[in-house]
Amino acid sequence: MSSGNKEGKKVEIPAIKYFWSSSSLVGKKTKNIPKFLREIDIFSNLTGNELRILSKFLHIRDFSNEELIINKGDKGIGFYLIYSGQVKVFDELGENSYSYLEEGEYFGELALLQDVSIRNANIVAISKVKLLGILKPDLEDLIDSHPKVSAKLIQSLSLIVSNRFNSAIDEIVSLRKRLKDESEQ
Amino acid sequence: MSVLRGKQRHNPWQYTFFILGILFFFLILFNLPRLSIPLMVSYVLYLVFLPLVPKLQRIGVPTLLSRMLIVLTLLFALIYPIIKLVPFVKNESSKMQNYLPKAEVYIKKYYFEAKSFISKKYNYEVDDQILLDGLMVMKDFSQEFLLSLPSYFGNFLEWIFLVPIFLFFLFQDGRRFKRIVLKMVPNPIFERVYYLSTQFNKKIGDYIFAKVVEATILGVIIGVGLAIVDLRFSLLLGVIAGLTNIIPYVGPVAGMLPGLIVALVEFGPSANFYAVVLIYMIANAIDIALIFPILVSKIVDLHPVLVILSVILGSQLMGVAGMVISIPIAASVKLIIEEIYLEFYQRG
Repeated sequence: MSSGNKEGKKVEIPAIKYFWSSSSLVGKKTKNIPKFLREIDIFSNLTGNELRILSKFLHIRDFSNEELIINKGDKGIGFYLIYSGQVKVFDELGENSYSYLEEGEYFGELALLQDVSIRNANIVAISKVKLLGILKPDLEDLIDSHPKVSAKLIQSLSLIVSNRFNSAIDEIVSLRKRLKDESEQ
Repeated sequence: MSVLRGKQRHNPWQYTFFILGILFFFLILFNLPRLSIPLMVSYVLYLVFLPLVPKLQRIGVPTLLSRMLIVLTLLFALIYPIIKLVPFVKNESSKMQNYLPKAEVYIKKYYFEAKSFISKKYNYEVDDQILLDGLMVMKDFSQEFLLSLPSYFGNFLEWIFLVPIFLFFLFQDGRRFKRIVLKMVPNPIFERVYYLSTQFNKKIGDYIFAKVVEATILGVIIGVGLAIVDLRFSLLLGVIAGLTNIIPYVGPVAGMLPGLIVALVEFGPSANFYAVVLIYMIANAIDIALIFPILVSKIVDLHPVLVILSVILGSQLMGVAGMVISIPIAASVKLIIEEIYLEFYQRG
């Protein structure tokens, strides 16, 4: 009985609120940050409570249509998740070299890992966009206050970087093959 | 779909709102000192003690309890000296009041001895106005200080209760409040402003913490040293030396003067008086050669001329409090200027 009481004291109201808001039983129309984070694949290694802690460190930024989000060559310190809307990533090389990112996708992960990170592409909003950002000082705070959550976040970031690295290698291999084919012809 | 190039990079309304917000904040800060001073003190304490919360959490203290523990410890540290030290300080101050006429007699005696020596040796008459002016300034200052003591004490009592309350709410809602403020920052400069604000906070927190440690070490060295030579008010003089040391440049000299006056009155120009001078010199030498370079200078990294200029400007704008916080603010301004320089001159 007494141990039950002790356990009862440990339950936090914000945790209950989080689990309620992120529960599948809650109407699907309502959208909130904890529920959104739960649906992102890279955060699958974080528990519900860890995502709740992480959500406290996120900044919400609103961008209007056609607003420049990231300027190539700028120093960057933030990693962003697209909470709503769509963005376009493009280089200055030409009109064809661009891609689109939408809700649930992310960019800027290197900014959290590198000492000095220079943005390597332009990103523009192509609708009204809401981003969730975590910045380098926030990560440092997270390391101090919640080492386990920060370790899992860094693990997730490493996963993104390794995925990008693998796709870059694949692209290099296919380009090399194409070059070889063209030179043989 | 046409290729978008980010036409709306700068929204003038966002910038106007942001700049007006900053101006409004500073307007309140300078015009409502009764509110802004305890708020600023609590904010500085928040920056100093914030790193302690995760450390307490790591040893198993829950977040709320660790915050309450810090606030209650601070409250105790503020109230305890009042209960214990006020009667002592009152007693010492009243003794000091009796000492002041004695000090005046001594100063006059040595002045006239020095005057007659100069007159005999160099045949030059020193004007007495210097002495009279000096004594008048000393009397006015001590009178003004004693008269304004109740108002200082009243403010201090108000702060004792306000600062811990503000500090607790900063611990609880500081992060949320910071996010609300950051929402005002225009998107193109958001990351830079956030980075600079965290650096600014870190510099102020680290600097004040280092200065408090430095002042404590110096106060202990001087207090113990003066107690060894058996000088009266050694504890009070140690506390004064420690407290005044927080003020750069002027502080060490201001902290030394009462000790030298008491030593002169107590011992005259004897070996003990020179021992007191030596104690102050050794303590300040340890401070300059060891404590300051190890603890403080790494945090600020400023040219000495810039330090002097910032202290003068700080005293001009905000008095003693301005002198204390002028150095970390100057270090932060340097950081901002460096960022702007890199933005305009070295990009790409």
